[in-house]
This record gives sequence, C-alpha cells and structure tokens, in this order.
Amino acid sequence: MADIAQPVGILKQITLIAGLRWRMLHNFLRRKQNRLDLIGVIILGVVVCVFVIGVCFALSAGAYDFVSSGRIAWLGLLFWAIFLWWQLLPIMVAGFGASFDFRTMLRFPLRFGAFYIIGLAYGLADFTGLAAVCWIIAIIFGVAAANLALLPALILMSVLFIALNVALERLVGSWMERLMAGRRTRELFVAGFILLMLALQLVGPLLNRYGDSAEPLFMRALPYLSYFPASLVGKGVGAAAAGSYGAFALAAAGMACYPALFGALLWMRFAAQYRGEELSETPAAAKINRNNAERAELGADGLSLLSPQVAAVIRKEVRYLLRNGFAAMMLLLPPGLVFALISQSSLLNFMGSKGISPELFFPALVAYIVLILMTPAYNSFAYENAGVQTYFTAPLRFREVFLGKNFVQVCLIAIELALCIAAFCYRVGMPSAPIFLATLAAIVFTVVGQLSIANWSSLSFPRKLTFGQIHGQRQSRMAVLIAFSAQLLLFAISSLVLGLGRWTGDRWLPAKAFTLLAVAATGGYVASLDALTSYAEKKKEKLIEALCR
Amino acid sequence: MTDLAIVTEKLTRRFGALTAVDNIDLCVTAGQFFGFLGPNGAGKSTTIKMLTGLLAPTSGRVQLLGLDFSSQSVEVKRQIGVVPEGMGLFERLTGAEYLNFVGRMYGLDHGTTLQRTRELLEFMQLADRPKSMIADYSHGMQKKLALAAAVIHGPRILFLDEPFEGVDALAAGALKALLSRMTARGVTIFLTSHVLEIVERLCSHVGIIHQGRLVAQGSIEELRAGIAGEAGSKTTLEQIFLSIVGQSGAERAQIEELSWLT
Repeated sequence: MADIAQPVGILKQITLIAGLRWRMLHNFLRRKQNRLDLIGVIILGVVVCVFVIGVCFALSAGAYDFVSSGRIAWLGLLFWAIFLWWQLLPIMVAGFGASFDFRTMLRFPLRFGAFYIIGLAYGLADFTGLAAVCWIIAIIFGVAAANLALLPALILMSVLFIALNVALERLVGSWMERLMAGRRTRELFVAGFILLMLALQLVGPLLNRYGDSAEPLFMRALPYLSYFPASLVGKGVGAAAAGSYGAFALAAAGMACYPALFGALLWMRFAAQYRGEELSETPAAAKINRNNAERAELGADGLSLLSPQVAAVIRKEVRYLLRNGFAAMMLLLPPGLVFALISQSSLLNFMGSKGISPELFFPALVAYIVLILMTPAYNSFAYENAGVQTYFTAPLRFREVFLGKNFVQVCLIAIELALCIAAFCYRVGMPSAPIFLATLAAIVFTVVGQLSIANWSSLSFPRKLTFGQIHGQRQSRMAVLIAFSAQLLLFAISSLVLGLGRWTGDRWLPAKAFTLLAVAATGGYVASLDALTSYAEKKKEKLIEALCR
Repeated sequence: MTDLAIVTEKLTRRFGALTAVDNIDLCVTAGQFFGFLGPNGAGKSTTIKMLTGLLAPTSGRVQLLGLDFSSQSVEVKRQIGVVPEGMGLFERLTGAEYLNFVGRMYGLDHGTTLQRTRELLEFMQLADRPKSMIADYSHGMQKKLALAAAVIHGPRILFLDEPFEGVDALAAGALKALLSRMTARGVTIFLTSHVLEIVERLCSHVGIIHQGRLVAQGSIEELRAGIAGEAGSKTTLEQIFLSIVGQSGAERAQIEELSWLT
C-alpha cells in the first residue's frame, strides 16, 4: 500500500525553506566565479555599511536632541524619513524582494500560514528593511540615552511601525509585481517613473515661484499629517512623556490599525497567489502584414560599408534596444535630467552668485552623462540569453561582436552628449575653446578607455538579465565594482590633468594631455580587441553557462 | 580529398574530477546520417558542444572536413550548421530578423539572405507570424526556426542536438524529409535524440556513448549483427541500445525493491 505524506507543521516548513536558501547560497559560493562576485558584494557592502552606520549616528543624535530639548513629538520627523525610505526606495530600484521567487514553493504542500510568514520575512530581509530597522534601533538608543522612561512606549510604537512598513512594502511590491507582469503596464510604469524623476527636478523652481503663496495651504494641511503612522509615533511617545496615557493608548491603537489593515490586505493578496495566480503575460495577437515586414527587411540602413558580421550585430543591438522599453527609456533619463537642471534659473543665479563659470560646470555635466551611459557596457551580453551561442557557432572572430556592440554604445553616447552640449551652450553659454576641446578629448579618452575594461568585464562577470523586466534584476556585484573602480580611476586621471592645467597656468595643457590620452586609449582599445577575442574563447563556457541558465 | 566529415582523436573533456567525455575516437563519413545515442548524462551534449566549438576539449583533437578545429575554427564554422542545446535563439527578434542576422553572420549577401529567409520561413510554416517575436513562439516553432537558422548558409555538416523534441508530428515529418534530402545531397548530419525510433528510421550509422566512453560505432546493420548474429535481423535499435547500455540485473533488482510505489 502506498504511503501518504504526513502533514508538516508551519515551523518545520519555514525551517525547510530557510535551509533551502542556505544550501542555495552555499552551492552558489562553491563556484570560483561566484566567490569573486561575493568579494564584490563584500566591498560594496562595506560602503553601504558606512552609509547605514553614519545615518544611525545622525538619527541617534537627532533623537537625543529632540527628547532632551523637550520636542518629543518631533521624533515623528525621523520616522517620516524612515517611512519614505522604506516605501519609496524599493519602488525606485524596483527590486521587490529577493530574486528568489518564493512562490515556486507553492508546488509543495505548503500551508498558507507558512507562505504568508515567509513572504513577510522576505520583506524584512532585504537591504531597505534591514537598514530601516537599524535606524529605528539607533533612534531607540538615542531616546533611551536622553530619557529611559520613554523606552517602553517607543519600543511598542516602533514594533507597530516596523510591522506596518513590512506589510505595506510587501503589499505594494506584490501589486507592482502583478501589474508589471504585463509588458504594457510595465513600460507605462517605467515611463511614469522617468516623468516623476524629471518632475522632481522642477520642485525647486516651483517652490521658488509659488512657495510663499502655497505656505498657508501647506500649514492648513499639516495637522492632517498627524494621523499618518510616522507622526503617530512621535505623538504617542510625546503623550507618554507628558503622562497622558489615554492619548498614548489612542495613538498606539491608531498605530495598530495600520499594520492590521495592511496585513489583512496583504493576506488577501497572498491568498490570491496561494490559490495560483498566473503572472506571465500573454503574447499579443500578431497581425499579418507581410508587405510591411518585407519592406522593413529590405530597407537600406547604410551599414553596407561595414563587414556583414559587424553590421548584423549592430542591427540586432538596435532592435534589442528599441524592444527593451526599460533600457530605451533609461537612455532618456540623463538628457532629461540635464535639460531640467539647466532650465532652472535658480541654478544660473547660483552659479553667477558663486562665480562658477561654465568652465567648471561643463566638464562636470559631461562626466555625469558618460558615467550613467557607460554602465550597461560592463555587462553587455546581459540580454543575449541563449542567443550568445550564435556568436560561438558562427564563423566570426569575437572582435566583430565587440565592434558591433561598442559602435552602438558609442553612437548612443555621442547623440546624447551632442543634445546635452547643444542645450547647455544655448542656455548657459559656450565654454572657452581650451575647455571645450579638452572636454571633447576627455570624452574620447574616458569612453574608449572604459570600453576596453567594460568588454573584459562583460566576458568575466556576465549576468543574465530578463528582457523588459525590472523585478529582481541584479548585475554581478564584481562588474559593478569594476565599473565603479574604472570610473573612479578615469575621473582621478581627468581631475589630475585639469588640475595640472590650472597649476601651470597653461590653458591648453588639458586639451593637449587629453588628446594624447585619447589616442593612447584608442590604441589600447584596438589592441585589446584581439586579446579579448582570445579571452572570449577561454571564457565561452562560463559565458554560455551564465546566460543560458 | 578526404571523404571523412567528422574525425575525433582521443577527445576528452573533464569537469574537475568528473570525466564527461573520455578518449572518444569518432569517425563519420561525408554524407552519413549519424545518430549519436546515449543515456542521460552519458556525454552526448558535451561531445556535440566540443564538435561545434562551444566547449574546448581538455585534450584530443577534432577534425571536420579535414580541417583542424583548434587552428582553423572560423573556416570550419563556415561549413557547419548547429542547433545547440537550448537552441541559441535571440528571443527578442522576429523569425525573419533572426534568420537575416544569422545569414549575415555567415557572410551571405543581403539579397541571398532575404531570399533564403523567405523560403525557409515558408517551408517551416513560420511565415504567417512575421511580427511575432521568437519569445512568443511555441517550443516547436522555436525548434523549427533554430533548424532553419542552422541550414540557411548551406552547411556541409549539420549538428542537431535533440531536433525533434517538442515538434509536432506534421512538422517532424517535414523536417525528416528535409534532412533526408540534405543527406542525399551529400550533407553529413550528426544528431542526438532520445527517440530511438526516429534514429532508426533516419540514420544509417550510430555511435553509442555510455559514461563518457564510445561503446559502439558503426552502421545499424553492423551493430545488429554484432549483438544478435545472423538470427537477429529483426532486432530493433532499442534492443541493441539496451543490450549495450541497458540496466544490469542488479539495477533492475533495486528498482523492484521500490515496493512502496504500488
């Protein structure tokens, strides 16, 4: 007679899944490539830790100051900052939870209670949540140092605050995940996000213009903010300090309503997932229009001067870019931000009042554009997936693949820079010829210099990214570290050259030096192509494995 | 001029302590339809990857059409077509765009690429969805497209890793007819498949790999004669395969021990 599986308790199931996660991490680290990635994680982790610890000290000192100076309700301000961090950052980075999809566990006889708790635990275990909890603990320390008697009230409110944030973040994340499963909603979201980023740049000018007239309206709305969770924390602790226990109880009860409400909504959301929710998108019905398709194929694109292989890679790259709504829209962000920045009259006034000339502002602006636009080049095979095998089965040398990819990358940067420079010159004014030419030569030096390193990084630390998706997408931490280091190095060299120009008083020195560096970088790039071709041959197994997984 | 299409000498591939392919000496004559068989994990895909340049051998040599793969890889690749494991498609291109891309990568001129793309899409019955991206194709459609891409440049050797997996009966029939026509025109086809009936019907010769070693190689008749002698003219390829790599008596006994399954 066949056995029947015995029911497993919630705790046991959670322990099993925790064990599974540990085993997956352990096996991940068994590979040398992943161990290198771990080094990247550790180094970046140190930088992040410095930031988190710094904020911990600031919040602790702030909390101590508020309590010791009798402004206890102002603690709400600190909790507002943490609330905005906890809820907005995951949307900004769109990395809701870890890349491990815990819903895959649903094929096992997992109890709904275990599923719910694991879902919540994932909300608390990501970087945003951990940092926020650290900061809340820092506030508790600051308050305890100033007035130990407030500790029980603050701890109670903090626990409720954490519960609310975890539930709300998971709820928003879960809905976002569902909405972004569809290609159209996903791209609408990205477009909205970019518009929001641009709109944020206009906050300053709007405040300058309408700030005074909006102040009474803002002051009238201010009391209503006290019903929001962060304000309730300050209000409740303030009431406890004043000995108004009734008011404290009311604030605590109000505060408890939030996690209860969002917890219930999350319960319903997770229940829908638990019952089995299809998140994958259905392909749109394709219209048959052979004439158009044929016309598109026959259309001349002016690439006939290049070798067929390089031209084929360029065409493919352009098509991929146009079909990757997220990547294409991200390209609009840097010039958008630049246009918004230079359109602000306050900035021009500030530059005038501080005596900052375009001489300084122009290279900084260009460096910012290059910095952002070069980042994808460090993992340039990310979207190839299984297609990368074609590069190894086709009769070509890998340099042709890099030439095609780099050509598209350079064209994009050139177009964006041309637009930004034209807008800058129109709005702010043309920098002097020595600075203008030095900047142009510096662009060639930094872009071409980075391309060689980025190509090496793309082969050494490839990471598969899913097309048009922003959920759970992670670059290799080692690639991020290399990009960061390369940009830092090139920035240091550029600063040194500019500094030398100022120090010697020779205004043309930077232009000459950058031209020499640009020539050297171009020579290095050309020489690197053959070396990278051999390197690609050595790395092909790892590349295919990483992208076909 | 040699009539050997594929020759390997002591081809070996190790992954750490595991020897996935162990001193394989393969010999496939031009124009043969060669089936490469083996149980799961025997080393079939590793071998085909080494034969197509997707994986470097730890030791040993690969010669295709008389050319050494390690020193003349570009020239070799020009003459072979591959449907790799996982198919190797760029999923965000349309079928036509992908075939155009591959044609150009193999150095075909624009006009020839367009013409062959059109013909292949028609033949594979993929022409009615010109705007669909490959990501939206069914598994079978992707297989047909991968095969179309592998033949667009008119290769002299075709490597197919599980080409019929997930392909419907109608399409499989058309593909088999195409492959048979290709061998009749002198193209060498090297295919791996788990479906032994297909291999038996299509292939003239087979090689059997087991635990990384080539345990049998020859025409199906030769293997049949080797296993069952003169009396075994009706022995199927499945019987031949099982008698060479099939479960031993001890393994069968272990399976019978799983009494809780009933």
